Amino acid sequence: MSTPASKPLWKSILFRHETLLLLVLVLEWWFFYVYGTTTNRRGMVVGFGTLDRQFDILRHSCEIGLLALALTPIILTAGIDLSVGSLLGLCAVVFGYLAHDSGFPVPVAAALTLLLGAAAGGVNAGLITTLRLPPLIVTLGTYSLFRGLAEALTRGSVTYTDFSAGFLFLGQERWAGLPVQAWVFFGVAAGIWLLVHRSMAGRSFRVVGFAPEGARFAGLSVGRHVALVYVLAGLVAAIAALIYTARLGQAKADAGTGYELFAITAVVLGGTSIFGGRGSVTGTLLGVAAIAVLKNGLATLPVVIRMNAAEEMAGLLTGVLLILALAGSKLSGLLLSAWKRLMVSARQTASSCA
Amino acid sequence: MKIRSRSLVILVVMGFLMPALPVMAAGEKLMIALMPKSKGNAYFLSCKAGADKAAKELGIELLFDGPVDSNAAKQNEIVDNWITLGVDAIAVAAENREGISTALRKARKQGIRVVTYDADALPDARDFFVNQATPQGIGHALMDEAARLCGAEGDFAMIIATLTAGNQREWQKHIEQRLAEKYPKMRLVAVRPCDDLKDKAQSEATAIMSANPNLKLLLSICSPGVPGAAEAVKQAGKVGKVKVIGLGLPNENRRYVKEGVTESVILWNTEHLGYLTVYAAAALARGDLKSGAKSFKAGGLGEFQIVGDNILLGTPFLFNKSNIDQFDF
Repeated sequence: MSTPASKPLWKSILFRHETLLLLVLVLEWWFFYVYGTTTNRRGMVVGFGTLDRQFDILRHSCEIGLLALALTPIILTAGIDLSVGSLLGLCAVVFGYLAHDSGFPVPVAAALTLLLGAAAGGVNAGLITTLRLPPLIVTLGTYSLFRGLAEALTRGSVTYTDFSAGFLFLGQERWAGLPVQAWVFFGVAAGIWLLVHRSMAGRSFRVVGFAPEGARFAGLSVGRHVALVYVLAGLVAAIAALIYTARLGQAKADAGTGYELFAITAVVLGGTSIFGGRGSVTGTLLGVAAIAVLKNGLATLPVVIRMNAAEEMAGLLTGVLLILALAGSKLSGLLLSAWKRLMVSARQTASSCA
Repeated sequence: MKIRSRSLVILVVMGFLMPALPVMAAGEKLMIALMPKSKGNAYFLSCKAGADKAAKELGIELLFDGPVDSNAAKQNEIVDNWITLGVDAIAVAAENREGISTALRKARKQGIRVVTYDADALPDARDFFVNQATPQGIGHALMDEAARLCGAEGDFAMIIATLTAGNQREWQKHIEQRLAEKYPKMRLVAVRPCDDLKDKAQSEATAIMSANPNLKLLLSICSPGVPGAAEAVKQAGKVGKVKVIGLGLPNENRRYVKEGVTESVILWNTEHLGYLTVYAAAALARGDLKSGAKSFKAGGLGEFQIVGDNILLGTPFLFNKSNIDQFDF
């Protein structure tokens, strides 16, 4: 996202992918606010324009949002982690087992779960850095492995439930005006933003993504940086597992099925290049928000509700949004450079005429 | 600066236009939301057909939504959405008994009435459960139908899923009780497990038939067992001599029923289940149905018995040659 110093500030902001996405988000929100807010039979204002619905958007997108945040540094290094959704499931059932069946106090069970998440991320990291296997293959393997472990531990049927009110607080209550998990989410977002945009390590992720060999020759310890992002992803997946379990009040082996693809969609929508080297945490946050508002907003539109098609439309429009945003971003870049070339040649013609 | 000011003008113009378009407000109608376990499932689409009929009769607005993917949190998210839409009552077939209860309790706290149907949530998370079939109802219906087809005398055999499954044992118990009470001239000659596999049911049925040449009927209480037994009878060339009945879905058995191999398939009427569920939800929302009630009248279907907090759909439904084409699930 570097811009030449000569370019005026407003231009560098206006033509950024994030600006386009922010505009999309504002339009979405506004559209649903206007069309998705109604009054019900008892004269109550209901639908999108209620505070409860806004909080639901936060609650429903928290786990996928966390996974998207965790995936951003990974994709910056030109890697991928398909195992985060399965790891969420594994962490959920292990936490359920520890807190419920083994009688550990909740904080201890939670700490052990976080440790498990980091360790599982370490397995990915080890296979990728020491054996130099492609991340896609490694995490495709652990994608099945983690889910399989979760199913084996519960024999596919055990559901852990009856968690203490103190733990459910994390997923179902509000604190200082916002859903509790939103605070965790924003905390993790701030941490990862600092790591990616304000630290040496963050700069290294991008260098590794652009040119791993070059990074190695420049004396960067590529392996250590790559390992860091996968371990971090494991840890964040464990946090997401705790929030998921607290929100639903149950831990089952199918927790987080398919979440990895939603998270990758949000990251890519946020403008992070799937080939690595380019992208931002802000973009990911906007991507998560754009998808979450679309999904939750559609379910409040009377027309969509009457067609019984909120779910299907959400899937379809997320796809359209992704393609349009990426094409739009690419197209505006192409138009801009074409315009510049035109101006340059016009200037040359003018000067040659003079 | 030109580009920015132009887009600003467009934005402002849109801002004035959009609220001027008509806003669809929910009317004066009672709003009831119905959720299947999964949306494309033909079983639940059949429930929905009955639910739509009830909604039309009652003049209420019926919302229908459910998961389309395997995301386990989806049912909860849809209930959350219905809560903020301020619906009057919610009816759910629970996929995750404990998980969905979290969302349903939240709905009840906000004054929304909750019923479950097909698969129950935890008792404190709903007002009533519309119970599609009691084990006794199923056991008696199967035994009575078997006796009717055999003329209340002769040998018959049973195919079950496993020897340990809880619901299978319940059904078997009630079948045997009914047999002992009412049909002294009938004899249960074999009970064989098929592990819920059609192929195994077929080979077991073949073995039973060769061991019992006087067998008049095969009764399967697990759904893959019914087409499995029918295939065995067909291949043995004993169509008409050995009759097949059992618990199952119309679609799995349609071919054999039409060929006359399988006499009848027993389940509950899914359309009636949807119809009753919507009537119960509407009556709850209007305050016409309260806990402790002993019976409940649902439109054209008449009175239904209530036991505790279970509204009973009543006697199972018989699918046979004459009516099977009216059902698609």
